[in-house]
This record gives sequence, structure tokens and C-alpha cells, in this order.
Amino acid sequence: MSTTPETLPPLARRSDAAYLDFVEGLREFILGKGADFEERLNGALERTASSRGRPWGDVEEIREFVHALPLGRLRDRLARSQQEMKWHAIERSFGEQRAQLTAELAKWDERGPGRLLLDPAFVHPAYTNVHFHLQPGGYYKDELSGFLYHYGTKVFFRGDNDKDELHAKLVGTVPTPSDGKVNRILDLACSIGQSSTAFHRRYPEADVWGIDHSAPMLRVAHRRAAMQGDAVNFAQRLVEKTGFPDAHFDITFAFILFHELPPRIIDETVREAARVTRRGGIFAIYDFTGTEGKSPYQRYHRWFDARHNGEPYSQDFCDCRLGDILAANGFEVAAAPLAKRAGGTGYMQHWFATRV
Amino acid sequence: MSDRAQTPEGGTPIVGDDPVYLNDPIQDATVRMLLELAAQVWVERERRLTLEALLESKGIVARDEIERHIPDAVLAARLKDERARFIEDIFKELRRVSLNR
Repeated sequence: MSTTPETLPPLARRSDAAYLDFVEGLREFILGKGADFEERLNGALERTASSRGRPWGDVEEIREFVHALPLGRLRDRLARSQQEMKWHAIERSFGEQRAQLTAELAKWDERGPGRLLLDPAFVHPAYTNVHFHLQPGGYYKDELSGFLYHYGTKVFFRGDNDKDELHAKLVGTVPTPSDGKVNRILDLACSIGQSSTAFHRRYPEADVWGIDHSAPMLRVAHRRAAMQGDAVNFAQRLVEKTGFPDAHFDITFAFILFHELPPRIIDETVREAARVTRRGGIFAIYDFTGTEGKSPYQRYHRWFDARHNGEPYSQDFCDCRLGDILAANGFEVAAAPLAKRAGGTGYMQHWFATRV
Repeated sequence: MSDRAQTPEGGTPIVGDDPVYLNDPIQDATVRMLLELAAQVWVERERRLTLEALLESKGIVARDEIERHIPDAVLAARLKDERARFIEDIFKELRRVSLNR
């Protein structure tokens, strides 16, 4: 069976790959222990709160403190630059191969084993028009958006997901419904279909559907699945209006989706998931942890990510209580332990919700 | 970057294209150029190490031949193009320094 690197088209030249290899290392250094910004800035924040005898208030107060520090401003400059460098290199390298890559997508559109259902009359809601993570053109305005996203996430995951290992691991944690029946699976906002194919491999007899609003993402998802022989279907649909029948799915899945939705659409999407997931079925979610329990630096980092890394909805998501929204829409949510991280909780969390 | 117009529905306002983080835009441009320069140095080093390893393993070129080599007209023209691209990569940051800040 083929693996992810073979489905990712090569860059135009070796130097482009070397450049992005550098960005990957730079990212690791800036955001990790190399530069150690998190420990040092969080230490300064906590010492200040301790010496003045009161905890930090709203994130604006934290922001003012961090921005008064040269180290804080430099950290922001570097964090922004590594992201800009990444996209500039990927966009240029794939852009130079636009004709070939477009032809490559067209070659696979009609091939099986799965189906690709695009809607020529599809209208993108305004809320989707965001350049998440600073991706040029966002998720759908460039016909090569799926390829850009694929390489962008390769750098983001720093080599840990080159063979979809992260997706396979996450899909592997999703509990099977207690009656053992898994005939149909829905992957909401599937992007390039890495979770969708992982579900197909875990439940090869199930009918797996990946939906997304972005046609360029879906075309790459379909191409990847077809190249790897995975019989997964992909359709251009909205997560809040999937078009599937009531109680149709045994498992519904949302991988890092909700923090990219405004609150109104979060509510509508949970309601839609409750409609299409059958009783006893599972709605599995993997997304950002809430603001509660975060260190001052982590709260700052979330704010920075929202404002400076194209995540306008993530703050509202982190401040909402997704578990309560799930419960209000007919799901029973299993308690998910929060991972620990220096100074606070981890950044990611599972929700495993059973439709009751 | 292409088509920067965005229409998020509320939430945290997204900063514009070229935010200034440091004391003035020149400092931001300097850091960007430094990062770009470091990237280009790595690209060149990776290329050279790969090439030298290949050449030596095949017994084609000794290292001192590379040191003594004089480019012909075709290679000279190619190097000129590559140099222009190298300079563009690093110093494109200068175009992002706003007149108004």
C-alpha cells in the first residue's frame, strides 16, 4: 500500500525542499525548548502575578505585559515569520508546477474505488472565507489549496505525520459503539481525507464519507484515497448541513474542526451531528482545550494564534463549553482527561460523545 | 500572497498583512532578512554537501577541482539568474516596509 509521501507531489526543486526543511527546524526551535520562549515568558508572567499579589485578568492585560518585553515581541516576530516563510516557499514551488498539478488532479477525479461528488453550484458561506494559519487563498480559493495544505501540515507536524501516523492514532482511539455496529462513518471537514482513509482501514467494511466545503481539498483527498486503493467517498457539503438522512451514521468524527467555526455554526454543526448520528452511535471530536486551566503564556499564545495566525474563531471556541453544547443536543459525553503541560493543561483534547 | 480579502464572522480581529512586532518596521525587516538568509545558507549547505558526497562517491570530481573551476558562459549566466533569485528571496522584505509607519 502506498504511503503519504508518495501522494504528496514533489516540490519544483531540491532547494525548495531544503528551504522547508529549514523552516521545519526553525519552527521547532522557536516553539520548543530551543528558544525556550514559553518557559521564560510564562515564568516572567507568573513571577509578576506573584509579586503583585493577584492573578492575571483578561488576555489584554497579559498581552500588554508580553508586548512590553523585547523577548515577547521578538518571539511574535519569529513565530509569524516562520509561518510566512513556509507558505511563501510552498506557494511558489507548487505554483511553478500549476499546469502539471492541475492535470494530475483532473486525472484522478473520475477514478475509483471511491467517489468524488463536487457541487458546481456550491456557495461558500462568508465564515469560511478565512486564510486559516495564513494559508494563501485560505482553504478553497486556489485550485491547489489541497496540495498547499498537505505540504503545510507536513511542516507543521515536523515529520511526525508523513505517513498519516497522527490520523491513524487518533482514529484508533475512537470507541466503537457499544453494540459493535459500524456500517457508516462520517468525517466532518475532512480536508485532504487523512482521517477518512484511516477510518476505512480500521473498519474496511464500513461506508466512509468525508465532507468538506473546499473542492480543492476534496480533490486531493479523493486522489490520495484512490492512489492508495482506499474506497472512501468524498462530497462537497457543509458541516452544518450535510444532506445525509437522519440517524445515518454509526460514527461521526470531527478533527480540529470546531475551533475554525464561529459560535453560531458550532451550535448548528453539533445539532446536525446529533441528527445524522444514530442512537448509540459515537460523535468523536479532537480539538483545542478550553481556556480554563491554561497558564498565562498559553492564554497569550492562543490570543496570538487567533489574531496573528488566522484563527479568528478559536478564542470563542476555547471560551465555550463544548461538552455542554453536546449534552444539550442529545449526546452523553465521556469525561476526557486533560493532558498536562508545564504551567497548565495541554493544548488538545478528545470528546467522545454517545448519541442518546 | 493572493487575494487577502477575508470575511470572518466575528471572533478575534485578524491582523493585517505586514504586522510590526518590534520597535520599528526596519527592525522587523531586519529580522525577516536574517531568517531568510539563514534559510538560504542552509539550502546552499545542504546542496553542496549532497553534491560533494555524490561526486566523491562516484570518483568523478575531487574537492580541489571544485575550488579551481572557472564557469563557462552558460554556467555564468545561470549563476547570475540564481544570484538574482537569491537576492530577491532575502531582500524582498524591503518592499514590505511601509512608508506610513
